[in-house]
Amino acid sequence: MTGKSPEKTPVSLVNFFVFNSEYGPREGEEEKKILYYYPPNTELDKKIKDVGLCEAIIKFTETFSDNPCEAMHAQKTRQVFHQPEKDFWMVLTVSIPSSEKEKDGQSYMEFHEDDVQDSVFDAVLKQAYRMFKLFMGSFQHILEKGTAQNLKQRLDHFFSRYLQTLKLNQSDILDVYCGIHFLPLDKNTYLKIQCLINLLEATFLQVKYTAFLYNDQLVWSGLEQDDMRYMYKYLTTSLFPAYMEQELQGGSPYSSSTNVTGGPSTSHYGKFVTGPPSLTEPQNFGKIPRIFVNTGRPDEECHLLVYRALSATVCMLIEGSFQIPFDFFKSLDSFLGPQLSSLASDIGEQYARRPPSTAEPLFKYVYFNYMNLAQKTTIHADSNKKTAGSVSVPPDIMRLIGDINADISRSSNDDNETIARTQTGDYWVVGKKSDQREFYVVINQKNANLIEINEEVKKLCTSHFSNIFFLD
Amino acid sequence: MDGGGSDRSQTPSYDSDVPEPGAGGTVILAPTDSYADLTQGWQGSLHEIRRPRHSSGTISEITNRSKPELAGEKQEREKDGELKDKLNELQVTDDEDLSLTSSDETTASKEDEKEGGQTAAVSSGPSASGLTVIESDSEENVQTEAWRSQRKHIFVLSEAGKPIYSRYGKEDKLVTIMGVMQALVSFLQDGNDSLRCLVAGKHKFVFLNRENLNLVAVAKTEDSYHQLLFQLTYVYNQIISVLTYTQLNKIFKQRRNYDLRRLLTGSEKFIDNLLHLMDHEPSFLLGAVRCLPLPSSTRENIAQSIVQNANVKDLVFAILLANNQLITLVRMKKYFLHPSDLHLIINLVNASESFKAAESWTPICLPKFDASGFLHAYVSYLDPGCQTCLLLLTVDRDMFFTLSECRQKIVDRLNRYNCLTAITEALARTSYSISQVGIADLRHFMYKSKSTAQYTSPELDAPYTTKEEQERLFGLYLYLHHRIHSSARPLKILFHVGANETLLGWMTSGFELYTVFGPLVTKTQAITSINKLLKWIKREEDRLFILNAPTF
Repeated sequence: MTGKSPEKTPVSLVNFFVFNSEYGPREGEEEKKILYYYPPNTELDKKIKDVGLCEAIIKFTETFSDNPCEAMHAQKTRQVFHQPEKDFWMVLTVSIPSSEKEKDGQSYMEFHEDDVQDSVFDAVLKQAYRMFKLFMGSFQHILEKGTAQNLKQRLDHFFSRYLQTLKLNQSDILDVYCGIHFLPLDKNTYLKIQCLINLLEATFLQVKYTAFLYNDQLVWSGLEQDDMRYMYKYLTTSLFPAYMEQELQGGSPYSSSTNVTGGPSTSHYGKFVTGPPSLTEPQNFGKIPRIFVNTGRPDEECHLLVYRALSATVCMLIEGSFQIPFDFFKSLDSFLGPQLSSLASDIGEQYARRPPSTAEPLFKYVYFNYMNLAQKTTIHADSNKKTAGSVSVPPDIMRLIGDINADISRSSNDDNETIARTQTGDYWVVGKKSDQREFYVVINQKNANLIEINEEVKKLCTSHFSNIFFLD
Repeated sequence: MDGGGSDRSQTPSYDSDVPEPGAGGTVILAPTDSYADLTQGWQGSLHEIRRPRHSSGTISEITNRSKPELAGEKQEREKDGELKDKLNELQVTDDEDLSLTSSDETTASKEDEKEGGQTAAVSSGPSASGLTVIESDSEENVQTEAWRSQRKHIFVLSEAGKPIYSRYGKEDKLVTIMGVMQALVSFLQDGNDSLRCLVAGKHKFVFLNRENLNLVAVAKTEDSYHQLLFQLTYVYNQIISVLTYTQLNKIFKQRRNYDLRRLLTGSEKFIDNLLHLMDHEPSFLLGAVRCLPLPSSTRENIAQSIVQNANVKDLVFAILLANNQLITLVRMKKYFLHPSDLHLIINLVNASESFKAAESWTPICLPKFDASGFLHAYVSYLDPGCQTCLLLLTVDRDMFFTLSECRQKIVDRLNRYNCLTAITEALARTSYSISQVGIADLRHFMYKSKSTAQYTSPELDAPYTTKEEQERLFGLYLYLHHRIHSSARPLKILFHVGANETLLGWMTSGFELYTVFGPLVTKTQAITSINKLLKWIKREEDRLFILNAPTF
């Protein structure tokens, strides 16, 4: 719709900071408030000013509103605010895309404010906090065990890496949902998996929680939904891609597909993704991340041990206080290896039997279930890695979906339907929410009318979501 | 009733070769796009500055044409005379600084000075500590919970941060909070950026920077950012209409710290009234006016009465209004009235009780017409019930008696043809109810003809009879309008099923249609209904719209 300006600059990170006003209440102590600031090489004076402005904005909005400040819109920048824990504020600033325009023979910069949606960047910011919390625990937890200095170090350690991985220009409705792709399976296979996990947890008492994935899809999880949501995000966007890359490059000398080490064990495909790279080298424990979950109690620290055979992955959360002996890995390997390998090939077969999707359908859709966080999309070719160009509808249509989603979220009623026809480009976007499920259909069809579009969507509902009741 | 083919009634479609209902042969008002007013405002400051707002305006063009030799001189004299008193006051305060006048003003100016000092410090070199210092003061000044919980606050302040207007609460009690607003604005300006909006829960804080003035809206209504910005622009224009842009600029050039409230004394009520109207009347949102439904022959007769009896030199516009609706508008050839200027005129009449007492003569600046100078308006009600108001706008400041004579002749002719009675009857009937349209399940609608900038809408019937329900309905229209007119992602059709109603909005090149149905209407029914509705409007267009624009 703004097709005449192809040379738009992308949305980019301007700054990101964490502060607590209580830490430097007196004049001259402002520096103490700043717990983290990106980019790190910024002059102190500028950091102090930026934090000061946010403090002023937060106070000012409190004069009128009982709800905390969420966003600041300026001509060239957009700032989102999040107070994850009492008195701790996180602020993310992004640039507004701009393009060069000409008027009366003079060129000037046009800023596309509407390209940046609060709901999306609010989600990006909240996700940043949740990822920090997953790996470092809550701010409060860190302070209970250490000092503000420890907190600063951890913030720096985590965010200096994490911020590099943000793909702000590709952020969209999927960040708002932050959902999970589930793999539907037949009853038998599903029960087999459950059986394996029960046996695993009964045999190895240090394994507190388990999750089972096939490729990037979740099959089973014993974690609280919210813990799983962010761990899933980590696994699918960071751990798995890095592991696959390493495998592809043959980086690990032990990546032979069979593992016939420990005496009586049979041949299988299992190996540790986190943990010892080889079971023949007892001194190398590999890297095992520690994570914090809130399933049993708040800020419970665990080792995240990930084991994989073919495309099947078992994630085991092991009590943080447990010093894992090398034999533990060996026993796990001989317990899981054969069973997981055979399960993986079972699922693989079932997977292969599915009819390949027929000719490109007329429509694209994205679906989200608020109850179980299930998410599906045919708009994104690759929903997790978000490679550029994997989105099959124009950016403005993605943002229109974001608009309707924001309207629906604000609305007080649970059932909603919105059908929008764009002024240019013959696009129809249909948004529906019913019984905690929400979905959007994009149809690009010339000369279609409202009734025809409605029929198309009905057909889609019957063929893809037949078990879900949508109000007509 | 259903003349179209079956596929025609299935699809919202309107033949673009046929003019839309309400499109006249000649244009009466300058056509508008929604937010057209804003496009300059929000695209950045560059062409804002280059917009020719002053120099030889429309007024001097007209004056020049009628009195070629004396024109320039005459215009100068006219302007000077108009503002001489006010300017004198300015001069005095300039010489003796702020600390004169009566005792209660002295305290105010002390506060002002203190405030001026603070903001000056901030804007010269804003630092984080500067902001916090101001902030810490604000607690004392924050008003009661009743003040805080107002749905829509509007503030106007000078570039120096001096309070000029607040919709609720006394401005001088709000010195600190306005100082904070100014500090935020100038802080971002120093970073070569400009503050647009803050969001906190349901609250939006919208900032509009205009030359010399900053306007701020704090609202928890359904209004979108752009809609609030648009309302702030109206407030700005209202101030211009009292002072003229030239004058406003001159004042702040001479004295950056000037307390503009001195010049606006007595005109706060116009801003109050304007804000009240904008919260209820769709005309502002749509950039259109509503006409009093009248048989076309009656309307023609009224227009003729004016054309024949007010055809005097230098008369630019003759406007007849009743109950915020337009009865007729006669204009000088070549010159159009912009709907937003007409809205300010409607607001002027709506907010003034004094016009009911006697014929009046008042200067008014119409920012779209010519922001640099005043037109002079002869205002008088024509009927004893004070419902029908005649305005004659001229560039000649000495025409009161001539125009008073014109008025008498107009009234005589209107009476001869029973036109005033017809108007009174039309007003008593109330416009029309949705049941007269006769479409089941259609609860309410707004239809705007784009080319003539006029709209029609039925009376508010059940279920929209309480204040809360009416506010909710207006909120639905705000939502529909906002989504459809999104500047980056405009829509042609928007169909929305909510809890209590189903909404359907439809844009074409000729018209904008916003409809509200019961919640259970099907899409097919809704589309059949709007096709019927368009036919109904076409049939009634003679009565609902002014199709011919008479000129002098």
